[in-house]
Amino acid sequence: MIADLELIGLRKTYPNGATAVQDVALTVEQGEFVSLVGPSGCGKTTTLRMIAGFESITAGDVFIRGQRINDMPPEKRPTSTIFQNFALFPHMSVARNIEYGLAARGVKPAERAERSRRIMEKLDLLDIADRREAGLSGGQRQRVALARGLVVEPQILLLDEPLGALDANLRRSIQNELKLLQRTLGITFIFVTHAQSEALVLSDRIVVMNRGRIEQVSRPVDLYTRPQTPFVARFIGRNTLVGGKLTDASGSIETPYGPMRGVVANALLRRGDAAQIVLPSEALEPHRDGADHDRLVAQYDGNVLSARVLAVEVVAHTRLIRAALADGREILLEGHTGQGSAEGLAPGNPLLIGLRPEEATIVAAEQQQGKK
Amino acid sequence: MERQPILRGLLTGWTALFLVFLYSPMVVLAILSFQSGPEGGPQFPIEHWSIYWYRQLFNLVPASSVAPLPLGGALLRSLALALTTMVVSTVLGTMTAQAFRRHFRGSGVVFYLVVLGMMVPGVLVGLGMALTANYVGIDRTWWGTVFLVHVVYTYPFSFLVMLAIFNRFDRSVEEAAWSLGVSPVTTFRRITFPLIFPGVLSSMLFAFTLSYDEFPRTLFASGGDLTLPLAIYGTFSVEIHPNLFAFGVLTTLFSFALLAVYATLMTLSVRRARRVAVQEEIA
Ligand SMILES: Nc1ncnc2c1ncn2[C@@H]1O[C@H](COP(=O)(O)OP(=O)(O)OP(=O)(O)O)[C@@H](O)[C@H]1O
Ligand SMILES: [Mg+2]
Repeated sequence: MIADLELIGLRKTYPNGATAVQDVALTVEQGEFVSLVGPSGCGKTTTLRMIAGFESITAGDVFIRGQRINDMPPEKRPTSTIFQNFALFPHMSVARNIEYGLAARGVKPAERAERSRRIMEKLDLLDIADRREAGLSGGQRQRVALARGLVVEPQILLLDEPLGALDANLRRSIQNELKLLQRTLGITFIFVTHAQSEALVLSDRIVVMNRGRIEQVSRPVDLYTRPQTPFVARFIGRNTLVGGKLTDASGSIETPYGPMRGVVANALLRRGDAAQIVLPSEALEPHRDGADHDRLVAQYDGNVLSARVLAVEVVAHTRLIRAALADGREILLEGHTGQGSAEGLAPGNPLLIGLRPEEATIVAAEQQQGKK
Repeated sequence: MERQPILRGLLTGWTALFLVFLYSPMVVLAILSFQSGPEGGPQFPIEHWSIYWYRQLFNLVPASSVAPLPLGGALLRSLALALTTMVVSTVLGTMTAQAFRRHFRGSGVVFYLVVLGMMVPGVLVGLGMALTANYVGIDRTWWGTVFLVHVVYTYPFSFLVMLAIFNRFDRSVEEAAWSLGVSPVTTFRRITFPLIFPGVLSSMLFAFTLSYDEFPRTLFASGGDLTLPLAIYGTFSVEIHPNLFAFGVLTTLFSFALLAVYATLMTLSVRRARRVAVQEEIA
């Protein structure tokens, strides 16, 4: 099967000499929902703009359905873009904004009206169909922008933080609508977002970018549970990273706080490599010091750390504990209030932390990453 | 501001004074244009009020010792010249500004070369044009050499106006159109142009006005057929009668009419979006 979108060795160097994107390679299947996430300035928008044809490609190739489109002008590409700042046509009504792309593609007036009416209905825009941009709220503008991009049913829809201006409730309902539309229309989505929770909920796969490069491409669940680089581990979720040396490639590491074992190690690591263990806050369970130490060691297969409580925060049934390891290093524990044996823990109290080792991951040490 | 009545009073006074100085010469001319005729002269006091000189302009009074102003042809020439200059300058200015939206090599040099057209002393430009025309053997005409120097003069103004407009123009609106499959040409016609229209109007007003009463460049660059400012100046050398003032009042009224057209079009294009939105909000 031909991939819907294929990026090969993509690079963008702006005229001022700044390289915003490099070595980006990605294959996206028809109908996939792929999110690009990463810190501000990591090259998400630049990547999207190269796919859309707004930005020239310095090196590498973009293929859509097997066709190389590097030099194809944007209006000829089977993509449509939804912009971070809406970019509505201010001199046209909402309905006209939405119909305009259909008119440009030669769709007959009757069908045009029908298709735009359908999408306006879905996005709850019928009441404001005759207004212009100046008379719309931020959320309404965003929905018009979505409708305008969706109505032409492009092969690939490129969305640059399209839900940024919405409040939490509206955001959730539009998210659902968006996902549903994407499914029913079978359109491939490339979705840039700052909100990782949004990416985790919506995407089939997530691309994490950092300084113009791809760090990791994974299904949401894998990204969350199996980060492949320290950067991803820090960027997604609430993880504590502890450096050490790999003592067994199958998943044992010697750390300053003691050995840990039974952890899943990144396949590329060899015995003796400098590495880091990623400790997800949810994989750590708190126990009072003085609890039966031997029993704990048995329960966690030896993965027990000593620490001191810094702060305890309980919200509904979730408890968040900030603790300090032997050398003062901070570590975060998150879980149900019933977990472990930690009732009545107060700041200053000693604490034993048990790790469910199968939920932790060992990744390469950061220095090694930097050298590459 | 409300808390500083003294400053406010001062500013009001200052503005009033400014307006008085700005308009008093025109007011004086306007008053004198109602002098009695044909014996009344171009000075105070007004012997008695009449519209004799206005009628004289249109040859509606019996012939007298005062000859009718020889301005008809010059007026038509100046209007035609100003209109053409306005169109050409605005088109050129818009295209150049459009080119400047993306940085290209040598853009700095080109910028100053264009802007120089409005900076160099007009008399020199006119003289230079006359010499060049003589040298290459072209006749000096109002529709040739004069037209050229007028465009060189007004084009930088149009360019600067359009540059300012494009600076505030959101490029992604055009990109959105392209991404919907609209060709760049159609995008310019249907998306870009309506949005930069206020700037185009201003550029047209600038170019028209500047060309309409251009003097120093025209003085040397023109041949036998004079433009309006030159023809008016020519009448001074004979003898001044209030009919010139009457003419001045009429052309000023014409300018006001132009301004009114400009303001109306501007208001329409700027307010349209807001008004439609508001109406629907109320409905
Ligand atoms: N036109 C440009 N000229 C020069 N450098 C640019 C240009 N556009 C972007 N950059 C630089 O390229 C890098 C990537 O920018 P980009 O807009 O792709 O980031 P982003 O991931 O979309 O960030 P954000 O999340 O803030 O939107 C940044 O360092 C930015 O400063
Ligand atoms: Mg961006």
